[in-house]
Amino acid sequence: MTIDVLAFATSPRRRGNSETLLDWMLDAMKEEGAAVEKIVVPEVDIRPCRGCNACAKLNRCIQRDYMDYVHDRIVEADCIILASPIYCMGLTAQAKVLVDRAQVFCTRKYVLRLPVVPPERKGKRVGVFLSTAGQNWDHVFDAAIPSVKCFFNVIDVRDKDIRYLMVNNVDEKGAIACHPTARADAAALAGEVAAYLQEVGVA
Amino acid sequence: MTDPVTVLGISGSPRRHGNTETLLDAVLEGTREAGADVEKIVLRSLAYTPCRGCNVCHKTGVCIIEDDLTEIFDKIAAADVLIIASPIYSMGITAETKGLIDRAQYLWARKFILKTLYFTTEQTRRHKGIFVSTAGLGWGNVFDAAFPAITAFFNTTGFEYWDNVIANDLDRYGGIAGHPTALAAGREKGREVVALIRKMQAREGTET
Repeated sequence: MTIDVLAFATSPRRRGNSETLLDWMLDAMKEEGAAVEKIVVPEVDIRPCRGCNACAKLNRCIQRDYMDYVHDRIVEADCIILASPIYCMGLTAQAKVLVDRAQVFCTRKYVLRLPVVPPERKGKRVGVFLSTAGQNWDHVFDAAIPSVKCFFNVIDVRDKDIRYLMVNNVDEKGAIACHPTARADAAALAGEVAAYLQEVGVA
Repeated sequence: MTDPVTVLGISGSPRRHGNTETLLDAVLEGTREAGADVEKIVLRSLAYTPCRGCNVCHKTGVCIIEDDLTEIFDKIAAADVLIIASPIYSMGITAETKGLIDRAQYLWARKFILKTLYFTTEQTRRHKGIFVSTAGLGWGNVFDAAFPAITAFFNTTGFEYWDNVIANDLDRYGGIAGHPTALAAGREKGREVVALIRKMQAREGTET
């Protein structure tokens, strides 16, 4: 079995700092033998949640867009990576669109009380939050984290199975390449995640 | 005679006339009762794209995107009271609201990079910002992660973050109409903010 990695690049800026951090991690995951898929969220058609609550009755979203595909891939993947820069102390609007559309999983889990993943796969999924911020404040990521935890919780990634790699003080495009540890940290995280998933029997 | 107090309410909920917009309406009603000029904007009925992160505004101070938000930022600049309303989705403000907030980057650039925009303390004190929000969950911390982005937005647009009008646990109350105090408190808050600005206008009037 191969580790199935699904990654979301949500920055509106292509190949900027957060996507570079993601690419470093994905390269390292490939070296570990994982199958990797990267979805560039601003370039696909995922519309915001309408707040209609129909999913609480239908067990699916009423909107037909690229989220249909993403929904199935989220269920299948062993490792789900969300990469977002910090804009105005939070996730980008583009990342929040994806997170809000996970409402269908939230209602499945907490309203309809149906499984998100089959019971034998519970506890065998890892979530990763990769983030970059221009500010050098230590607390600059704090307000993004509750939405990230919410996202992973509803797609059945346990809180203890979420990994975080957050790099502050990288503002201009390409700044992360000059960061002393970010690249090595991303590779080390990939190694740790792959080892964990192998240990729990995913691959 | 004093100038009319202008109030701009912005609803960031994708659902029309839901809990958050109803609570916003209560605050706006209060400001109207106090004699303010009131306008409400519903983000979901506008066509706009989120910030593209191109950083052109860091050099020019102008956003390269021209869409329905362009005019909204003019209205924000002209308002005495700015009320931002968003329900809590996944522990944060909605994507629509964040789309508006991220677009204020050009003002941030004017303030902190180009240094062409500066709000004096007095100016900021004269402009009041209110955050209106509702959440289905009853957790005491359900609004916490929304506050920093709202704080950033009021800072960038030159408003003092004056107060919150928030109501949680609405799943239990069966919606905002079932909440024992929220709508009345919202109305009162609307009256109060207009009275406060009038008082400041009157004081300025006697000083000059």
